[in-house]
Amino acid sequence: MEWVFLISLALTPFVSPADPSPGLLRSKTSSRSLDCERVSAETGRQRRPGWIFPSRPRGDFVERSAVICAEQLMRPGLRSARDEAILSQLDQHARELAGMAQALRPDLQGRTWLVETYYPSVPVASKISFATKAALVGQGLRVSDRTPTLGAGDVEVITRMAPQEAYPAACQRYLATGGLGQDDALLAVVSRDPRETILHAGLCTRGQWTWLQ
Amino acid sequence: MRSGALPPGVPPHSARCRVGLALGAVLALSTALTGCVRVYQPLSGLHRVVVVDPQASNFSDLGLRVHCLPGELLGPEEAGVLCDRVGTLFENQGARVSTTITGRPDEQPELAAVSFTQPPPQLTLELRARQVHTSRHPLSWLLCIGTFTLVPGVTESTFAQDVVIKDGSGFLLATESLQGRLVQRFGVGSWVGNKLLDWIWRDDADKLTGDVAQRDLSADLYRQLSQLVFNAKLQRQVLLEEAAVIPASALPLHPEPVN
Repeated sequence: MEWVFLISLALTPFVSPADPSPGLLRSKTSSRSLDCERVSAETGRQRRPGWIFPSRPRGDFVERSAVICAEQLMRPGLRSARDEAILSQLDQHARELAGMAQALRPDLQGRTWLVETYYPSVPVASKISFATKAALVGQGLRVSDRTPTLGAGDVEVITRMAPQEAYPAACQRYLATGGLGQDDALLAVVSRDPRETILHAGLCTRGQWTWLQ
Repeated sequence: MRSGALPPGVPPHSARCRVGLALGAVLALSTALTGCVRVYQPLSGLHRVVVVDPQASNFSDLGLRVHCLPGELLGPEEAGVLCDRVGTLFENQGARVSTTITGRPDEQPELAAVSFTQPPPQLTLELRARQVHTSRHPLSWLLCIGTFTLVPGVTESTFAQDVVIKDGSGFLLATESLQGRLVQRFGVGSWVGNKLLDWIWRDDADKLTGDVAQRDLSADLYRQLSQLVFNAKLQRQVLLEEAAVIPASALPLHPEPVN
């Protein structure tokens, strides 16, 4: 009996896979710092070749599934919750906005696209702008780094307006002051509420403002 | 060899008794102290950062219908409990909530559940639950038996809470699948070890035994639902502003009837 006990103990480290869930050897905080996802064995083999093996073509009487985890790049709490929520899904947001802009306005394919981001944090806004421009380039559109500007008087008036009036007014003033040309299309990425974790997109072309999302 | 003498290598009677008593004591202790430790691990969606505060009045101007659909993981009674709790979550945040439990997504709620004195809901929140994966780890159970439950036997399951949010006209505003994993470890080693760590070492936020798994899962789910509905509310506002700008002449005409 004692041999069974000892052999079982000796085999334990080789039989038990590393589990990302909280337990004796892993705290809840450490487990939550991982981004984990359950995938099929085939998907796991594509993402982690050499680590995960799918079933044999003729089957091997074993059902396989994998949980793939990646450690978060930033320690939780290092950035504000709003910035963290936006930046952790920035790639997905940018691709969605760019895809929507091209799908809803295919007539603007030949225009020069500009991107302007309205977000309270300047570093985060610049990251959002860059990601959106990269996504637009990925859609095959012509993108410019130029930033349209407004005069000080226009800015003072527009900042006192309600959001549903301010953006259309700014769009008209861009055209009137030459900030945007007839062949330009401005994709404005907007965060309208400090409690939301999504980004809205508006399009300004030839003085006409349209909300896309 | 004299009759009655033991063959060489066999321990004397008193030593065998002592070994048997020790093993029996270990078995009894293992049986008495063995238990289950159930831990929860959030997967995709459930541990995303949330900004909206579920304690604040975020939906004071919102009519919300919570629609729970029973399925493989959610029986009719459990769907009712889920709907009640989610409804309370949003009522605490200022929303006017109505709840319905139907079998199919296109099934209309009973007329008795619709109040004619209140305006129609502006958003509909549909909730479904399904099992993504379950397994019993047979090797861990063999080791569990071989080591008198010192090594835990492991059972795990992965579930998904599917969330769909539509506006009053049925237009899809948001869809999300919130996945989590529940791992159950049976055995004296796991239960005693985690209990001791909870008493001696771990902070309140890191404790694992008791009903901590259910509380953490509920907290994550309610936070994510609050954030999803808030995002959908703002999305709806943007679309309404855009619809208000489009002139009626630009709207598509009704198709001609085919004779």
